[in-house]
Amino acid sequence: MVNELRLSELKRHAMTGVSYMLPLVVASGLLIAIGNIFGGNPSLISNYKGSYSIWQAAVTLGVYGMQLIPAIMSAAIAYSIADRPGIAPGLLMGMIANAIGAGFFGGMLGGYLAGWCVNFLKKVVKVPNWAQALMPMLILPLLASVIIGFIMFFIIGGPVAAASFALTDMLQNMQGGSAALFGAIMGAMAAFDFGGPVNKVASLFADGLLLQGVCGPEAIKICASMIPPFGVTLSWLMRKKRYSKGESDNIKIAFPLGICMITEGVIPIAAVDPLRVVFSCSAGAAVGGAIIMLLGVQSPVPSGGMFIVPAMNNPIGFLIALGIGTVITAALLSLLKKDAVEEEPIEEEEAELDLGDIQIK
Amino acid sequence: MNIVGVAACTSGIAHTYIAKEKLMKAGKALGHNIHIETQGTIGTENKLTANDISAADVVIIAADIKINGTERFTGKRIVEVPTSVVIKSPKGLINKIQVELGLT
Repeated sequence: MVNELRLSELKRHAMTGVSYMLPLVVASGLLIAIGNIFGGNPSLISNYKGSYSIWQAAVTLGVYGMQLIPAIMSAAIAYSIADRPGIAPGLLMGMIANAIGAGFFGGMLGGYLAGWCVNFLKKVVKVPNWAQALMPMLILPLLASVIIGFIMFFIIGGPVAAASFALTDMLQNMQGGSAALFGAIMGAMAAFDFGGPVNKVASLFADGLLLQGVCGPEAIKICASMIPPFGVTLSWLMRKKRYSKGESDNIKIAFPLGICMITEGVIPIAAVDPLRVVFSCSAGAAVGGAIIMLLGVQSPVPSGGMFIVPAMNNPIGFLIALGIGTVITAALLSLLKKDAVEEEPIEEEEAELDLGDIQIK
Repeated sequence: MNIVGVAACTSGIAHTYIAKEKLMKAGKALGHNIHIETQGTIGTENKLTANDISAADVVIIAADIKINGTERFTGKRIVEVPTSVVIKSPKGLINKIQVELGLT
């Protein structure tokens, strides 16, 4: 159990949750955006016996997807902890979290509890041989669902719902310096590792808040994901000799990816010169994030890049933040980076890593 | 050495494949036989065969998330690391494993 609570383990479970959740977030977010943009903010379908438009259908489908997010997050976390028997109780805990207003963070908590409970039951419940088949089919899912479900309903649900409401309230009422600081931290984190684990922590937080109706952090995330590819492209246009032939080719790929909010295209450029590129991108994204918060830009859609900018509450504000962040990143890159050496290094240099605690099982 | 491995990252579109490339390159450069399976968001690619696995001296799991099919590696020597380790230092990792296993 102590081992289970190690931070790296907790994080791996959360990241498993994110990896299962992402496609759903993107699909639902885009459905809502497409429906709203083309259908002119249509209402949700309330009567399936009546007639409804395709845009209503798109938005409704997207909303269904959003409502499923706590459940898929919770189920994937429980699966990561307890394997297949975790899925059923995990899904249920996510539904409870959604229903009682504990949202995404309640779903995450429910997922951990369900997973640990299943593992605990696997250890302590002993059944005779003839009943072995009942363990995964009946005993584990039923007991784990009842135990953790009741805990969610009667003990921790209320406080978690209150806490997520308080968090939402605080973020919505943040102004001036604290808002700018929050934006800067979110922006820097989102850009820091180009879609890696630090970025995922920031996006997890932003996606969670979106479900609570706080849409500012999503705008920061989108902005901060696009600043690195745009900034690198702009600095390449400003000072071509800073980049080798191979890097130039990569930039030509990174830019169109950036328009779609895929920031990973910058990785090959960052890999050559990590310190300067990461610093420049994070600094630009931090400024972009701060501006987003100060201008009160909100995005009801978690993903989609340039295509969903019209769906935001303040598209011009978003473009200002994106533009300023991009210019800062580009300026820093042009200043800090050295001219590229054309010859390919023969041996790729490896970082010195402490491999001491790596164990072979 | 005969090495098999699995790479998987959170978003399953970039680091997974970088980790695979780094491991393959480093493994080949050091003269090992190496097969790496990727478990990205698209699903499993370059699936390890039963022969690859049974011939392997070690299984390297480079993953930030839970991977599928770990039961295939029962009884094998397994090294579990985050993708960042194999991206930053693939040769260092393989050399260390070789020393630890006494297969130099």
